[in-house]
Amino acid sequence: MDHHLQLHLALSNTSTHNPPPNDEKKRKFDESFSDDELTANKRTLPLLLWNDNRNMDSGCVDDVGVEEDAVVGWPPVKPRMRKVAEHHRRESTASNFITVENGGGLNSKYVKVEMEGIGIARKIDLGIFGSYQALTATLMAMFGKRREMYKLTYQDKEGDWLLAGDVPWERFVGSVRRLKLLKKVW
Amino acid sequence: MAYSFPEEVLEHVFSFLSSPRDRNAVSLVCKSWYEIERWCRHRIFVGNCYAVSPEIVIRRFPELRAVEMKGKPHFADFNLVPEGWGAYAYPWIAAMAEAYPFLEEIKLKRMVVTDESLELISKSYKNFKSLVLTSCEGFTTDGLASIAANCRHLKELDLRESEVEDLSGHWLSHFPDSCTSLVSLNMSCLGSEVSFSALERLVARSPNLRTLRLNRAVPLEKLANLVRHAPQLVELGTGAYSAEIRSDTFSSLADAFSACKQLKALSGFWDVVPSYLPAVYSACSGITSLNLSYAAIPSSDLVKLISQCQNLQRLWVLDYIEDSGLEALAASCKDLQELRVFPSDPFGAEPNVSLTEQGLVSVSEGCPKLESVLYFCRQMSNAALIAIARSRPNFIRFRLCIIEPQAADYLTLEPLDAGFGAIVENCKELRRLSMSGLLTDRVFKYIGTHAKKLEMLSIAFAGDSDLGLHHVLSGCDSLRKLEIRDCPFGDKALLANAAKLETMRSLWMSSCSVSFGACKLLAQKMPRLNVEVIDERGPPDSRLESCSVERVYVYRTVASRQRLDIPDFVWTLDEDSSMRYS
Repeated sequence: MDHHLQLHLALSNTSTHNPPPNDEKKRKFDESFSDDELTANKRTLPLLLWNDNRNMDSGCVDDVGVEEDAVVGWPPVKPRMRKVAEHHRRESTASNFITVENGGGLNSKYVKVEMEGIGIARKIDLGIFGSYQALTATLMAMFGKRREMYKLTYQDKEGDWLLAGDVPWERFVGSVRRLKLLKKVW
Repeated sequence: MAYSFPEEVLEHVFSFLSSPRDRNAVSLVCKSWYEIERWCRHRIFVGNCYAVSPEIVIRRFPELRAVEMKGKPHFADFNLVPEGWGAYAYPWIAAMAEAYPFLEEIKLKRMVVTDESLELISKSYKNFKSLVLTSCEGFTTDGLASIAANCRHLKELDLRESEVEDLSGHWLSHFPDSCTSLVSLNMSCLGSEVSFSALERLVARSPNLRTLRLNRAVPLEKLANLVRHAPQLVELGTGAYSAEIRSDTFSSLADAFSACKQLKALSGFWDVVPSYLPAVYSACSGITSLNLSYAAIPSSDLVKLISQCQNLQRLWVLDYIEDSGLEALAASCKDLQELRVFPSDPFGAEPNVSLTEQGLVSVSEGCPKLESVLYFCRQMSNAALIAIARSRPNFIRFRLCIIEPQAADYLTLEPLDAGFGAIVENCKELRRLSMSGLLTDRVFKYIGTHAKKLEMLSIAFAGDSDLGLHHVLSGCDSLRKLEIRDCPFGDKALLANAAKLETMRSLWMSSCSVSFGACKLLAQKMPRLNVEVIDERGPPDSRLESCSVERVYVYRTVASRQRLDIPDFVWTLDEDSSMRYS
């Protein structure tokens, strides 16, 4: 068996003698191996198709989250974790951990939330919720109050204050400008 | 041989050897030791179900009580192995049902298990005690019902991460009232709701229950009821960890947890409402393992919980913990041995959290016992990797996934060769390595030179030429499993190192440059290797021999190279040296 590989005679120009120049981020794949077209095309796929076209639909909660992985099996996350990540994007339970300066992405919609009796208002990104239920659960957790003591009201784009819950969620997200939690009067 | 010990004495001595490697070594000493050993071996581990056949196993080991087996290669977890490839458990279960009426334990990983198999298990082994199915698939809750109904002495039913077709939650109610032997129940992967009263009664009548991992459908409001029945629990997986904030729910939960003095591991935590986390604080000082990989909560809440767990040894968490949280972890958990940080948004192009290489640097510096890491992040630098390697030469497992393929050192724009080189050079006990980012052949030279104890290596989108693969195959003395995807590695390195492949369990290469011709040649040269060409484009001989195959899976085997369950997209070498499928 031939253990002495004549590797310095390889087709590739990236042999041990000449390490690739530092400023070249993209290696010349087509020089690295045989001119099999199929493989050459496959090689460039990951670089071209790595995209960020997630959430092309805006706030449609019935959409079953299709994984937008252009490269099969990458990143190497097991199916269960993928589903969980999808779910989180729709119904997270905490609003203020999106720390990127430009906001949470295509769907983010920050509105001010006030609670009657509490001086400091908060801000919340409605884009990460999929339902009234998720929103109120989070608000209650944020303020540390009991759900049955408060009702959620909102100011719409016309300036009117309305009770939340009457219109479908997507329409609500579209028209809401501010939120206010009012104590229920018995 | 008048000077040798009587058989009974040797058998007694061998009974102290539990590791399969020791037993294998003993069996190679001489023929009589082989004979004695095989009659008293009770546990067997088969790392690749196709490396051997049921007949061979049964013929050699007539007295097995526990069988552990693995099927599909690791990359199957990421959809790289087409459906229907194989790893069926049934032929094994059926053969063993006849041969081992006293079998007690079956542990399977990445295998296809049918309801038929489960029913056969439940009816064939009178003393069956333990069924562990890790990342398996192919069965429904009906199969679970058979196990529950028929295994009178069942101690363990663990379905971790398996894909179960969930027909209903009714299966749990099949456990008879007389079943009081349960020690471990892990149903966390199931979707449907089980009858809560059946579950509660089962827990209440199982005094030996140590591990209870619930599924998401078990509501938080009812968790306290279950926990109250089992204060002896050592490992608990909650269901959904959310409920309306009510002080009575909270206090009953907190009370229930405070009664659990032996709790060491917590998991579950789907849909966490942070206000309920303090309910577990009373248990935190004893907690050594915390799995928060489903908990989408801010870093501050994660840190509040983690800093209560001074004795934490293992933490699995989402990247919501961020660098700041990892710094806090490093400060409070000095016993930490294993850390896994999973991506909350793996497919987003922009970072959604502030987690960088700095988090890993902090933990490596601050936790002297850290030996195992799985870390997903979006940027890395050679400087960070070098610092990590120097802080923590005791790494045994180092798996780094930089989410963007071929991402360079973000500071210098260089490949990450030097960084990973430092890892293998400093961490002399490294057994498992997964790499990512921009990597040239140079990193493989470092690996071949230094990673002498490396047993498993995972490579993706790396390298420049066959030289890279050659360095690994010729240099890594302890290599057992090598899995490669999307690398420009091909025929030369493979053929030059053919003999090496027989010393390994398996080699997986997908989307590389291995030609069909080379696969045939390899199979011809090495009769004890099975060279499976897995290609969904149709017969490989309808294309040029120089054409690259989609995937090749090479493994050593003493069984026939023509496995009977081969699907139509897999080709192996036939006797007449043509690549055919049966």
